[in-house]
Amino acid sequence: MLIQPFTTHYLSEHYGDDAYRTLAGYESRGGFKGLRAALQREPEEVIELVKSSGLRGRGGAGFNTGLKWSFMPKGDERTKVLVCNGDESEPGSFKDRLIMERGAFQILEGLLIAAWATGSQKSFISIRGVYKYPIECVRAAVNEMYARGYLGRDIFGEPGFHHDVVVHSGAGAYICGEETGLLESLEGKKGQPRKKPPFPAQHGAFGLPTTVNNIETFAHVPFILSRGVDWFRGFGTDKSPGTTLFGVSGHVERPGLFELPLGTPLGAIIEQAGGVRGGRALKAVIPGGMSMPVLTPSDLDVPMAEEFLSERGTHLGTGGVMVMDDTTCMVRAACVVSYFFRDESCGQCTQCREGTGWIHKLCQRIEAGRGRPGDLTLLENVPGMMEGQTICAFADAAAWPIKGLLRHFRHEFEQHIHDQCCPFPESFEL
Amino acid sequence: MARIRIDEVEYEVKDGLSILQAMDDLGLLMNGVDVPHYCWHPKLSVDGSCRLCQVEIEGIPKLQIACNTPVRDGMVIRTKTERVEDARRGVMELLLLNHPLDCPICDQAGECKLQDYAFDYGVKHARTDLPRRPAKKSFDLGPTIVFDQERCILCRRCVRFCREVSKTGELGVFQRGEQSLLETFPGTQLDNPYSMNVADICPVGALTTKDFRFKIRVWFLDDVPSVCNQCARGCNIHAGRSNNRVYRYVPRRNDAVNQTWMCDFGRLSYKQLTQDRCIAARVRGAETKYDEAVAAAGLALRTARENGGRVVGIASPFAANEDLFVLRRLLETLGADPATFTVQRWQGDDILIRDEHCPNAAGARALGFSESDEPLERADVALILGPVPAGRLERVQTRILIATHEVPANAGAEIVLPARTHAEYEGSFTNFEGHVQRFAPFLEPTFECWSFGDVLSQIARAAELTGWDRAYDVGRTSRELAAAVPAFTGASLDRLGLQGAELIR
Repeated sequence: MLIQPFTTHYLSEHYGDDAYRTLAGYESRGGFKGLRAALQREPEEVIELVKSSGLRGRGGAGFNTGLKWSFMPKGDERTKVLVCNGDESEPGSFKDRLIMERGAFQILEGLLIAAWATGSQKSFISIRGVYKYPIECVRAAVNEMYARGYLGRDIFGEPGFHHDVVVHSGAGAYICGEETGLLESLEGKKGQPRKKPPFPAQHGAFGLPTTVNNIETFAHVPFILSRGVDWFRGFGTDKSPGTTLFGVSGHVERPGLFELPLGTPLGAIIEQAGGVRGGRALKAVIPGGMSMPVLTPSDLDVPMAEEFLSERGTHLGTGGVMVMDDTTCMVRAACVVSYFFRDESCGQCTQCREGTGWIHKLCQRIEAGRGRPGDLTLLENVPGMMEGQTICAFADAAAWPIKGLLRHFRHEFEQHIHDQCCPFPESFEL
Repeated sequence: MARIRIDEVEYEVKDGLSILQAMDDLGLLMNGVDVPHYCWHPKLSVDGSCRLCQVEIEGIPKLQIACNTPVRDGMVIRTKTERVEDARRGVMELLLLNHPLDCPICDQAGECKLQDYAFDYGVKHARTDLPRRPAKKSFDLGPTIVFDQERCILCRRCVRFCREVSKTGELGVFQRGEQSLLETFPGTQLDNPYSMNVADICPVGALTTKDFRFKIRVWFLDDVPSVCNQCARGCNIHAGRSNNRVYRYVPRRNDAVNQTWMCDFGRLSYKQLTQDRCIAARVRGAETKYDEAVAAAGLALRTARENGGRVVGIASPFAANEDLFVLRRLLETLGADPATFTVQRWQGDDILIRDEHCPNAAGARALGFSESDEPLERADVALILGPVPAGRLERVQTRILIATHEVPANAGAEIVLPARTHAEYEGSFTNFEGHVQRFAPFLEPTFECWSFGDVLSQIARAAELTGWDRAYDVGRTSRELAAAVPAFTGASLDRLGLQGAELIR
């Protein structure tokens, strides 16, 4: 069982330590210092502090966390809600799972800091249903917090600071990891993203003002409070401070999690993972989970932070680095990607429902040796018809990787169509 | 109020509306400004999923859906730019990807939004020959609706209708993504008093009514604006007519009365227009010419009058305001008491259906008639506008019945005169809220019969009553009604228009 990342910094420092999973062990290793520091400040100050730390959401979009918190309405009588997104459904991403298993108290401490800052009284931690063990771990941590009086009413000696946490087992669909798809699912409805407006900060879970953050985002927050903004900004880049848990998978010698500062060059991360398996040549890397466009060996120098990746036409996403060696057929990769998105589209918006299916059929046909010359034009056009035109970013997530594959590996698609067969017999099986 | 510009024209609209709602309120939508849409419907919640109504808004980089974007003061909206047209073409192409091109055998053809928009905003040629996704062909969703799953474009208007309007929630979209399918929930069927509205709001040929499908191509129909006469709501309708036959009623929008809906019972009531009609004039059981029956009725009235006999009037809540006004004047001429009328009731609901199973009880009340189920006291002559009230006429010597339909009780009348249904003449009904609404003829009767008001006038003339020598004219009568009865001020037929007018209280 994976207990500890291969490289650690502050976040996963104690993940190898079983005592860190108990409340007492967590507290004796510096736990709740961040929350206690937050309680010394006014809520607005905490928001300003988190804002100035530059912490970006770790769920994929990379939005400034403090800024997101500041959207919660002030002077609103309604109960305010925090939702912790533990759906982790992005293929290639497996970092939140470890945090839930080994650092559940970090999440809860981060939640309580956010609760103090935003005046929230209730939290839902929604964890993808197949994560049985992480759910158990988080539940155990929540129970221990209640038993110790760290959750409930008037907690941490602050009269009027009430907070309740519900651990919710997700019903399981990629789209239930989308901010508002998750809220629908949490309410017991079919997991379909909501149109905006209204935004969750005004009308979120059960119609209440809501902020949704990723598991890892909450886990970083206590450190910012306990060790300070300057210390936090000592890691990572100016625009993307802190570390993150890069999950490296695919054709590497040592797949796993690596806590490294944001901005670590892509090549160095792959080095840490033991390099490409069997000494083979690198062909392509998906840098941030399956919905992000691929990079090629010429991009190994790119610092893994959003501001640099976006210059190369891709994004950091969830930091799930998927490595493909030279045996990999890129059309097969496109088949896998397009199958996933065809299968996981919620089906509300026309472009996404119909476009994902169309793309998949085209990819399949090309891979099967039945591609036609016009198919590549379609593969270029259809993603363009989907992008930026739907309720949520799923259509973008389905369109980008295909556009990326075509941008970098158009010749492979052309070869498939020209030869009417797949020229990569050694590639993974579909 | 917010000032917005749409395609370089400035408008003032209410705050808080969506762009589509604002356009709809201005009467511009698809009537000056084209913003095609599928999932949006003025009387349902916003879904925002078809993505066809995308428009360009100055200052916002991405196209926005007009159905869910609130107007802001100073907002500049463009609906005709290259980007907007590109986006529409994209949506149309994607919708047609899996939609069968079976217009020649589809009953929706001619009133299909997919067909219309494909012509107006779509691409001419398919760019793929990939097989279309198979799905179930025509099967019953319930007793009234047939569903063609292949044609469904998943706009979910019907789903929202059943949740929000009929509040029965039988429908849902199951599975997800490309596999999404509209179905009824397991173990249920689409069966509610408003079920057939889903066929009206279905933009394509997926949901059709069993009653209308394959009866006639819609382009052969004239849609005549009229009013349903089955309850005191008076839902506004279009009667689909061809060759002097009605093929269907569909609801006509009137936000003050029925929104865009009508109940299934009312919708199917067009069948009653031709069933069991009273077709022959009769005097004491023997069929006669119409004129002879009118003469016999006139004679009965004159005799009663000359002998100081008692004449009573029975009004009908199915008769028009104008008919009832003629009855009132006739009774006044005869020195008789105001008429009474009987109302049949059924179980109404809090959606559209009212307890009163007739269209014009409110009109009868406004004209000073009162409701009664009591048997009449002894009378020499009763002037009865049908249907015959059960058990009220025992002590009447001569019963003059003017009736649209033949029922067994008609046999008790000494003189029977066939009358026109509201489909065959012009007039107005007053609904339960005092909304006066005009109906116009859409059928020509195939036998001799006249409207209630006309027959009453003919009888009065035959009775040689003073002031009754002119031929009946409904327009004149309605103007006289508006002038004589304060409640009807401004509600003459020529001023009612398509949306009706309020009774003055």
